[in-house]
Amino acid sequence: MFLINCPYCGERDQSEFSSGGEAHIVRPKQPTELSDDQWAEYLFMRKNIKGVQFERWNHTHGCRKWFNVVRDTSNDIIHAVYKMGEKPPVK
Amino acid sequence: MLNFITPIMDTKEYSEIKISEIEPILKINLRGKSRDFITKIGKELSIITPVDPNTSSSNEKLSLLWLSPDEWFLYSNDKIHIKNENFLEDKLFKEISKVKLGSVTNVSDHWIMINLTGTKVYELLSTGCPFNFNNFKNSKGAVVQTLINHIDVIIHNKNVNDLNLFVRRSFSEHLWSWMNDSARFI
Amino acid sequence: MSKNLRTTNNKFIDQTSRISFKFDGKKLYGFKGDTLASALLANNIHLVGRSFKYHRPRGIMTCGSEEPNAILQVGNDPSMTEPNTRATEIEIYEGLEASSQNCWPSVNFDLGAVNNFFSPLIPAAFYYKTFMWPANFWKLYEYFIRKSAGLGKSPTEPDKDIYDQRYLHCDVLIVGGGISGIMAAKTAAKNNLNTVLIDDKNTLGGTTIFQENECYKINNLYSNKWLKKEIETLKSFKNLTIKTRTSLAAYHNYNYLLARENLTDHLDLNEKKDKIRQRLWKIRSKKVIIATGAMERPLIFNNNDRPGIILSSSIKKYIDYYGVKCGQKVSLFTNNDSAYETAISLNNSGVTVNSIVDIRDKTNSLIVKEVDKLGIKIHWKSSVVNTNGYKKINSIEIMKLSDDGAAVVGKKIKVECDCLGISGGWTPRVHLFTQSGGKLKFRIEDNVFLPDKSKLDQISIGSCNGDFELDEVIKNSVYLTNKFLEINNNDYENLEIISSKEINKKNIWLLPSDKPLGKTKPFLDFQNDSTANDIKLALREGFKSIEHVKRYTTTGMATDQGKLSNMHALGIIAETAGVKMGELGTTTFRPPYTPLTFGAIVGRNVGKFFDITRKTPMHDWHVENKAKFENVGQWKRAWYYPKDNENMYEAVQRESKAARDSSGILDASTLGKIDIQGSDASEFLNRVYTNAWSKLEIGKCRYGLMLNEDGMVYDDGVTTRLSENHYLMTTTTGGAANVLSKLEDYLQTEWPELDVYLTSVTDHYGTVSICGPNSKKILSKVIPDLVLSDEEFPHMSFKNALIDNIKCRVMRISFTGELSYEINIQSSYVKSVWEKCIDAGKEFDITPYGTETMHLLRAEKGFIITGQDTDGTMTPVDLQMDWIISKKKYDFIGKRSLYRSDTIREDRKQLVGLLTEDPKEILEEGAQIVAETNKKPIEMIGHVTSSYFSPNLNKSIALAVVKNGKKLKGQKMFVPMKDKTINVTITDTVFLDKENKRLNA
Repeated sequence: MFLINCPYCGERDQSEFSSGGEAHIVRPKQPTELSDDQWAEYLFMRKNIKGVQFERWNHTHGCRKWFNVVRDTSNDIIHAVYKMGEKPPVK
Repeated sequence: MLNFITPIMDTKEYSEIKISEIEPILKINLRGKSRDFITKIGKELSIITPVDPNTSSSNEKLSLLWLSPDEWFLYSNDKIHIKNENFLEDKLFKEISKVKLGSVTNVSDHWIMINLTGTKVYELLSTGCPFNFNNFKNSKGAVVQTLINHIDVIIHNKNVNDLNLFVRRSFSEHLWSWMNDSARFI
Repeated sequence: MSKNLRTTNNKFIDQTSRISFKFDGKKLYGFKGDTLASALLANNIHLVGRSFKYHRPRGIMTCGSEEPNAILQVGNDPSMTEPNTRATEIEIYEGLEASSQNCWPSVNFDLGAVNNFFSPLIPAAFYYKTFMWPANFWKLYEYFIRKSAGLGKSPTEPDKDIYDQRYLHCDVLIVGGGISGIMAAKTAAKNNLNTVLIDDKNTLGGTTIFQENECYKINNLYSNKWLKKEIETLKSFKNLTIKTRTSLAAYHNYNYLLARENLTDHLDLNEKKDKIRQRLWKIRSKKVIIATGAMERPLIFNNNDRPGIILSSSIKKYIDYYGVKCGQKVSLFTNNDSAYETAISLNNSGVTVNSIVDIRDKTNSLIVKEVDKLGIKIHWKSSVVNTNGYKKINSIEIMKLSDDGAAVVGKKIKVECDCLGISGGWTPRVHLFTQSGGKLKFRIEDNVFLPDKSKLDQISIGSCNGDFELDEVIKNSVYLTNKFLEINNNDYENLEIISSKEINKKNIWLLPSDKPLGKTKPFLDFQNDSTANDIKLALREGFKSIEHVKRYTTTGMATDQGKLSNMHALGIIAETAGVKMGELGTTTFRPPYTPLTFGAIVGRNVGKFFDITRKTPMHDWHVENKAKFENVGQWKRAWYYPKDNENMYEAVQRESKAARDSSGILDASTLGKIDIQGSDASEFLNRVYTNAWSKLEIGKCRYGLMLNEDGMVYDDGVTTRLSENHYLMTTTTGGAANVLSKLEDYLQTEWPELDVYLTSVTDHYGTVSICGPNSKKILSKVIPDLVLSDEEFPHMSFKNALIDNIKCRVMRISFTGELSYEINIQSSYVKSVWEKCIDAGKEFDITPYGTETMHLLRAEKGFIITGQDTDGTMTPVDLQMDWIISKKKYDFIGKRSLYRSDTIREDRKQLVGLLTEDPKEILEEGAQIVAETNKKPIEMIGHVTSSYFSPNLNKSIALAVVKNGKKLKGQKMFVPMKDKTINVTITDTVFLDKENKRLNA
């Protein structure tokens, strides 16, 4: 159970949040113009990194806002938290 | 006449804790992003719209709670008759939703208000709530949305050891009996 | 109680309050403050159990959580009995009943002990190797193995005790109330930090609190006296919370720790009543100081497991703390100085110490000189090669060690004793440190693993950090604490400390005997009965990794998790394999550090609190009217309302018939409701539903289907346009929270440009649904002002109305295919409206119906239930709902997936209707469908998703998903069941009123 520093509400217990998988996968603006392979790339392909990973989290039981988290999946250390639309921090 | 029925309609007292359901209370959810929206609700309600996270502001009649950067929770400090409720809701809806500044939604019966008082209220909360109340305790007006025994709640620090807790109506009986059970052991 | 086994000068046990308890049925006495172990020893009872494999007699060996032998069954009430309880950890109370576990028929005469004589035949992994063949005999083997290896009895009835949980947030948590923990707690508290100190014992002070010895003094006071004064000063700090009888179970990431507080285990039976037995503390601490101390190691030599062989430091605690003599004539066997402290303590209490066997060459530390002065015989550079005595030790055999320590030489000396204290040095308790993810380093001088690097805000101080001398413990703890807390507390500067220093260190993991190894029994893991020989065998058989050796020999896998045995196992492996110990690594220490009760883990979430229940505003009415309830997610929904002695089938048949013949009434309050406002609300609905929304008129309702991006049906419901930019969306009962969260996700991340706001109003409105040909008449009685003509108020539209001056919304929508109205009104009034409808409907015999009837009625119409007829693999095309997919819309969630190569396959499973050949035959939901029964293996082409007997059609109906089902209409299929095969025909999904005439009946 880790602590997540919600960019809006501050530090809260993990149980208030839910994870939304990998971040920065933008929904294609014109899906109908994509081939099956291109659409599958958006729909199914995820990196699932052991190490530093960019993720989406939702403060489900708090402000209900979605935001991004940079988490090391090998030790759960959260290196950064930033709002949707903001640029990811450079390593 | 239709009967007004709330799920709990009760008050319980324990050593240094008192728990009571307080209803009917007017509750309105307000959502909007623009500066105009924020100024407008302040003007309509004669209240300063709280823009700092986890805070609130109150006047004689109303309390306005920050819930998120684009969401606020308004409730009446006292029990309020249904007709007045419609009046305020209609006025806000006209001034905000109709002119596309944001949304105004009556949630009076979506939430049930439970008042908790006594020197051991924070001990009671600690039986099921992962939130750290150490600073919250001493900040009058503080607001937190969190979980108690896995149930969503909004907690408003009205005064020292005097809290209003809002829980969704369908969960309220369960939370009520759970809190009363926990209170026995404090 | 044998009087001569108790000293009278003891300060920790209240010798004025006598307590009676039972062990193996025999009534015994102890004093308040005794553990079960100390009370048993005071009664001269050492033999408390039999070993796991060989059923050898075993006695109390330690005084703490590492106890491998004294594992007992406590209590004999079928709901309260607790197996695997350590006698060294439970405090006795009036009426305590305990018994030995692993023996039959009794601990003194155990039939299983024959295993001991066959022990050469029971090597490591004996069970694995022997009971492998034939495979189907395992059931039989398992029964006997479990019986003979029985580790106590489980309670057979629900636990009557009460447990609860608390969250706790603090600045500093100190685990362990020994001398370094006490000093750290005072330092933190004095600097205004919110501090918590926990200790698993009932008294603070660790081992120092009973250390009254000339060789250990602080500021001219005995170390126990000095520490006592320090503990006194802690009381003045309001920001310091002290919890005794609280043991840390788990140390997780982000300084999240679980500790179990024992609140009533030590109380008399009548005092325990109605109180919380154990409390699980869920602690979040900014900083953690681990001060868990060290535990003494045993020595590994031939027959080192006899009752009466006890860790030397435990003998010291029994005499100094509990005032209990473990024997009258004690020998000590050691490789370090700490056994000499025990010798002095025993001597001070009048117990004869007749010899000390020390594997080291003669040493001259302060404490050794003190013992020398007492005239106790010390056998230097010697080892115990054997012990004698079956149920209790009666003598030891001593020989000189060779210079390299690998063999014994010279004459064998036999010394009589009734107790042997053993000390193999000290192991820092690094379990919590490693649980938290910390890495260990190895110190060669005294063979200890010490905390090294950690990613968390924590330190280890005192002997768990490898400081074993009093002066070093104090000096280093103070330094580390100050640095860690970034403060400068000078309370402990310039203390005058007298501390005996150990000069000579020596260690032999497996001590030699005069007999060949194969003929000896040097036990390593006392609880799992594995010996050094088992480890060597495993290595010979080719196991290399410590993790594999551990599992193969089961060393360290008992309930003590190898607290006593792990270091020796590692040492022997390293030595035998010729590897350096530091490089070998250790096995993983996993939480809990000591076993946790299930009660503490679940807390108050038992019985009616097992799961959260949600109730609708009409719940009480359903209860009063004898409804049976169904769990739908967390909701309690009225399932059916049996009349007289109806069973479910009969009730549902009656309700279903009534709803179509006259009128039925349903509580539909659980449906999810989302209020949608904003200038882009219509565009938003266009994007989330498959059909078009822009042209929906104000005042009209529309059914919508929501997909996932993969094209599969996710949720459905009716949405109403309340005004230009204002909609009310309904979702399924179970999908409400997820739909809201998904829609918020799109609004916040993909389409932030849309001006749309969502607010859940699920609980704000209660919903009364009235259906059937008489529903219009009933509604007109309830809301006389409302014009209900089909022109004014057609199907799929809504009206605002007032009932007794309270605003409500009436939707004319139908999930049953009947003329139907839904009244949505604030929840506080809905029960009253419901009762009004029932009253108004009396003349039409209005019939309340539950979810089961609702399901039946919609199945007659072929309406799907997402989650029942769909399972996340069905597209709208699969559901034969092509009509709901807008061809004109450029995009909506899931659109692109509807023509992926996989979703356009024609042989996908598709929703169809099924009729049985025999109209009375009702299919089972979930039953498999096959096209031919002769071909083996039979190919399953689909399954039944919904099935009912329709009273309105007087035949059974079913919905099913079948491969290529659309094209199979009219075909005969088979549903093979256990005792028969049912013949079915594939049909259209709509069974009743295909023309939808009833909607305007």
